[in-house]
Amino acid sequence: MGLPDALLLQHQVEQFIYAEVRLLDERRWEAWEALFADGGTYWAPAAHEQPNPEEHVSLIYENALLRKVRQQRFKHPNAFSLQPFPRTSHLVSNVMIDEEAKDDSPLVASARFIMHEFRRGQPNSYAGAYRYELLPIEDTFLIQQKKATLVNCNGTLTSSAMYF
Amino acid sequence: MSELQPAYRQPELADLVEHDRVHRSIYTDPEIFELEMARIWGKTWIYVGHESQVAKPGDYYTTTLASQPVIMTRDHEGQLHVLFNRCAHKGAQLVGDDCGNLKEFRCCYHAWRFAMDGRCVSIPLEEGYADAGLTKDDPAASVRKVPRVGSYKGFVFASLSEEGPDLEAWLGGVASSIDNMVDRAPDGELEVVPGVMRYEHDSNWKFFVENLNDMMHPMIVHQSSSLTARVVAKRELGKDAPLPPALEIISPFTESYAFFDDMGLHAFDNGHGYSGGKNSIHAAYSDVEAYNEAMNQAYGEERVKEIFAVNRHNTVFYPSLTIKGAIQTIRVVKPVAVDKTIIESYTLRLRGAPDELLKRSILYCNLINSSANLVGPDDQEAYFRQQEGLKTQGDDWIPLSRDINSDEELEPGHYYAKGSSDLAFRNQLKAWKQYMLAED
Repeated sequence: MGLPDALLLQHQVEQFIYAEVRLLDERRWEAWEALFADGGTYWAPAAHEQPNPEEHVSLIYENALLRKVRQQRFKHPNAFSLQPFPRTSHLVSNVMIDEEAKDDSPLVASARFIMHEFRRGQPNSYAGAYRYELLPIEDTFLIQQKKATLVNCNGTLTSSAMYF
Repeated sequence: MSELQPAYRQPELADLVEHDRVHRSIYTDPEIFELEMARIWGKTWIYVGHESQVAKPGDYYTTTLASQPVIMTRDHEGQLHVLFNRCAHKGAQLVGDDCGNLKEFRCCYHAWRFAMDGRCVSIPLEEGYADAGLTKDDPAASVRKVPRVGSYKGFVFASLSEEGPDLEAWLGGVASSIDNMVDRAPDGELEVVPGVMRYEHDSNWKFFVENLNDMMHPMIVHQSSSLTARVVAKRELGKDAPLPPALEIISPFTESYAFFDDMGLHAFDNGHGYSGGKNSIHAAYSDVEAYNEAMNQAYGEERVKEIFAVNRHNTVFYPSLTIKGAIQTIRVVKPVAVDKTIIESYTLRLRGAPDELLKRSILYCNLINSSANLVGPDDQEAYFRQQEGLKTQGDDWIPLSRDINSDEELEPGHYYAKGSSDLAFRNQLKAWKQYMLAED
């Protein structure tokens, strides 16, 4: 199609991110889980510029095993705080490639998001920054880490269960 | 019958808590909430913070005490103070951020300056007050101190009342839960690490503190997380594989009634109490060898055995602080309104212990105390549903009567019952009633 490589890469990264959050909104957890690389993590820090997920509390920091517990819990008949099950709508914008993939190091992309949630009859709104570490695999990517930093990650928050 | 007749006849305050039942209005009536703020939160010892949060001279840390903004400070001589966060001039808050380090406070409005102990240092154009007789040395020019401040092994409490028992007497039997958390540090000191989680609950503060030593709920409320963790572990790791730390933390919440019964409940004066003792859901965490070595070196094996033999689950310092000594996390209760409460979670480092211990505490806090976690939202949901359910005219009373006649007095003022008893619930509300009925 003659698109310059940079434009094509930008397009691929954007399409990947849109597809990723769409799976969350459509509750297709298994397909979402399949986007992660082996050892891939999901991280929602509890502070801005939090140095790492091990030495400081996080809102969520999950490997594949904990993600499976969370997703399996979604289906549990006694997950009372999820009845009725919340609905979400993720909007993603400002997608930029910060670092291209090199040898073993992943492509790093950043974006801004708003997640609207309808839970227990109440609308909730979350906004923040995404940072993706993506490993190129053929014509798509696998997630090494998805980091979602809420603008109010260090503020007072109400119960939530969905991935930002 | 008039249509305006209230839904229920408001009994006198003294009648709201009986030995075996409690009236729903103490959870739902905004006027009772205001009275609680004056008579409980405005009188007794309330947790402010940990001394390690103001370790260096000039450090300050802001929080609230009975909804009033206060500052915990360390002055340049090393003394600890708790001040009202209010300029002595026109009342503006002196500091607006969470914490920091200063030479002195300078009000943002008219630049009155105060030392870290609240003493007024300078007033711009001070001579303008000459006719009024006010100088910077006048006590009225200084930032007011909270009437009483006490620190027990680094845990700082303050009271808005000039009178009352001293801190150690008030802590009574639960001081030993702080002792045990401190003893678990090879260097004998604790340190609050950066990172607080503030979790808003849309329910009355008492539901939270009552739930912590309610041992009839975990195996019900936490099925969706704990049973799921067990199922996933079996499926993904194999039937007999050792659990990774995260699942070691989540799985025990659905132990049996017998297990929680055996943990037992201990209750003391002033509403304090703890669950667990010889055993708790934290007892089976894997050993960290380097930690055990550091402890043995610091205390000797015999003493270490004694320290680790104390295995408490939740200790409630009624009404404002709850701690888990065995996993080094604390939660601080901040009532906002009759149906709104903020629970703050902090993590502590055991000084002299390997980093692995802190990492486990952080993991625990993420999994159990975060607002986006797998376990706590189901507790929060139960409180919310109580808040909603008790709005109804379904029944004005809630029973406190499980095992009502089987409390054992182990020593004067120290009561014990099996885990499934309502002992903790009754004991907290006994203190509630004493506070609420005390003369102003």
